[in-house]
Amino acid sequence: MAAASDRRRINAPSSGTSAPVFARTVKEPGYLQSLRPARTRRPNELRKTFLQTGIVPSASGSAYLEIPTTSTPNSKSTLIPPTSSLKITASIQGPKPLPRSAPFSPSLLLTTTVKFAPFATRHRRGYIRDAAERDLGVHLETALRGVIIGERWPKSGVEVVITVLEGDEDGWWGDAGQESASGMNGGGWALLNVLAGCITVASAAIVDAGIDVVDVVSGGVAAIVRDPTARNETERKVRILDPSPAEHQEIVAACVVGYLASRDEITEIWMKGDVGADSDGLIEGATYAAVGSVGVLKDVLLEAVEAKFKNQAATTSKEGTKRKQQDVKMTG
Amino acid sequence: MAPPQAAHVNLSPAELSFLRATLAQTPPIRLDHTKGPKDFRSMRAEYDVLPGANGSARIALEDGTEALVGVKAEVEKSPWRPSATESNVLSVAARDVEMRDQDEDESRGKGQNAWIEMSVEIPGFRDDDPLPVFLASMLTESLLASGELKDRLYINRRFHWKLYIDILLLSPPLSYPLALLSMTTHLALLTSRLPALKSEKDEDPLFDDDWDASVPLYPKDRPTQPDTPPVIVLAMAVGSNIIFDPCKEELSVADAVLAVACTSAPSSPNGARVVSIRTIDPPSHLTPPGIPNAMNSATGGTVPASGAEALTQRELLANSGVWTPPRGGMKRGLISEVVKMVVEKGGIAEEVIGALQSIEVG
Repeated sequence: MAAASDRRRINAPSSGTSAPVFARTVKEPGYLQSLRPARTRRPNELRKTFLQTGIVPSASGSAYLEIPTTSTPNSKSTLIPPTSSLKITASIQGPKPLPRSAPFSPSLLLTTTVKFAPFATRHRRGYIRDAAERDLGVHLETALRGVIIGERWPKSGVEVVITVLEGDEDGWWGDAGQESASGMNGGGWALLNVLAGCITVASAAIVDAGIDVVDVVSGGVAAIVRDPTARNETERKVRILDPSPAEHQEIVAACVVGYLASRDEITEIWMKGDVGADSDGLIEGATYAAVGSVGVLKDVLLEAVEAKFKNQAATTSKEGTKRKQQDVKMTG
Repeated sequence: MAPPQAAHVNLSPAELSFLRATLAQTPPIRLDHTKGPKDFRSMRAEYDVLPGANGSARIALEDGTEALVGVKAEVEKSPWRPSATESNVLSVAARDVEMRDQDEDESRGKGQNAWIEMSVEIPGFRDDDPLPVFLASMLTESLLASGELKDRLYINRRFHWKLYIDILLLSPPLSYPLALLSMTTHLALLTSRLPALKSEKDEDPLFDDDWDASVPLYPKDRPTQPDTPPVIVLAMAVGSNIIFDPCKEELSVADAVLAVACTSAPSSPNGARVVSIRTIDPPSHLTPPGIPNAMNSATGGTVPASGAEALTQRELLANSGVWTPPRGGMKRGLISEVVKMVVEKGGIAEEVIGALQSIEVG
């Protein structure tokens, strides 16, 4: 599917330029491999998450999520970071009435837009959404549609706008020359991490906007990776939670879920790769990861509510919105 | 605002409630009452319909949905990529040549995802609308999952095949077309042939112009690892019932819809192996909720005085039979049950793959 090219701006070359090959990586065969990052976390240990709500004053609800990189460069001689981090913002517009020309809708119309910033990944993204971004938008819509109680807002619409400021990488940068290593089973593993982040951050923003939901949905990823150090074939496939694709040479299969923890239900599941017989185990792993992020989500939402009520008690003005009240607190 | 969804079903809340009740009982009674929960709609299939393509197929369902798929292959120059490991590969090759004499090993792991290009064309949709994008990415993803197809497109270090798979839905999307498109693609790929290669090693590729000598894209004479294109099965859950290949009206009352892509796996104890699973947003979330008589002044009820009261009364309707759009998602047990029913020996996937294979043979 040829993406429509953006003719209104002067664009950078679509494919970008290839990174320089440093002489040392060619001269010493083992040197490049020594830079390869390795997972230092335990198989079921998640990365730390930073989440904050109410960051965009003009939106009815917003949130920001950051999952910083864990591995530190094991060599001081290179400038290239071994793994990337994940930074996502979400903002909610609405619920607002549909335009008069729109046909009648008995429930809330949900529109999700996922956009990578042009600088979000190693390959530059254009200003027009490409197929992968649209696909993520559909996945996110599926995850949220089952959660929002849409029948309470007839004839209205809400827009969920997600901007990915920094996306996880599909693989280690050293493997970029040979696609076979990371892209053995289709590649694109980073999109799953991005989707999990999108689900969590969109969920926080929806709660911040005060839209009725049946439960707080959160995203989690699990993957089956091939461990090159294991001795026999049965030990070689390991299930890990919250994979960082750059840290693994070969990912066999991965799964992301949008999970409703208190109802024990899954609104969104996206599994790909050569799963084999253990698809249940992979889904279960992804739900564990989602439970991990729901803990963060609940704490952050609780904090936001506490801050709101503290401000309400402090100020007598009733009309001020939450963010105005925060401003009052800071000045006085 | 949001683009119009695929062919909205015009059913009243009462009809939706009735349809759901019949599908949720045991055994479920489907809209076509002659079919059980695992039965597919009947279809007409043919292959090699396009003379100009390497492989093609057409499938028409009984409700009038019809899809046409053409597979075309082109020889393309592979760009030379400077990579640090290139020199290592060369030196290894020079030392032990005898280890790399098999064709299979030579092309292993050399295929690239970009060598397969898929386009989905659905009447009434732009090619960047969510539905075609979603369908194309699900089909591509399941095709690339095994990694064997793209390795077969490798010719030599300088050239490779580029495979264009063009999927055309000839009719408007009367039901969710994913399963139909995947079955048509499966049949087209299964019957695709590539010209036989006459040149050797890294020469400019030269092909046999005899079409009878062409090699199938999916070779059948490999008993060790027969490989088939993936096929996607659509399953929906209503209550605790699982129904396969739902039609449009049945989808409009679904609690959840799951698309499972599998390929054959003769070596494993199961009948098939899963390569991809995705949930699909059921259109039931957009159906209008029913209003009970107790809340309707036209039928002798009293309209709730305030919005809050109306909300409370609506929440109490859960099991009253008045239609409310389903909320929440799918239980984990239900998902694993669907996957089991699809992949088990003699399950849905094996049946579909077998049926499509017998079209070619017969």
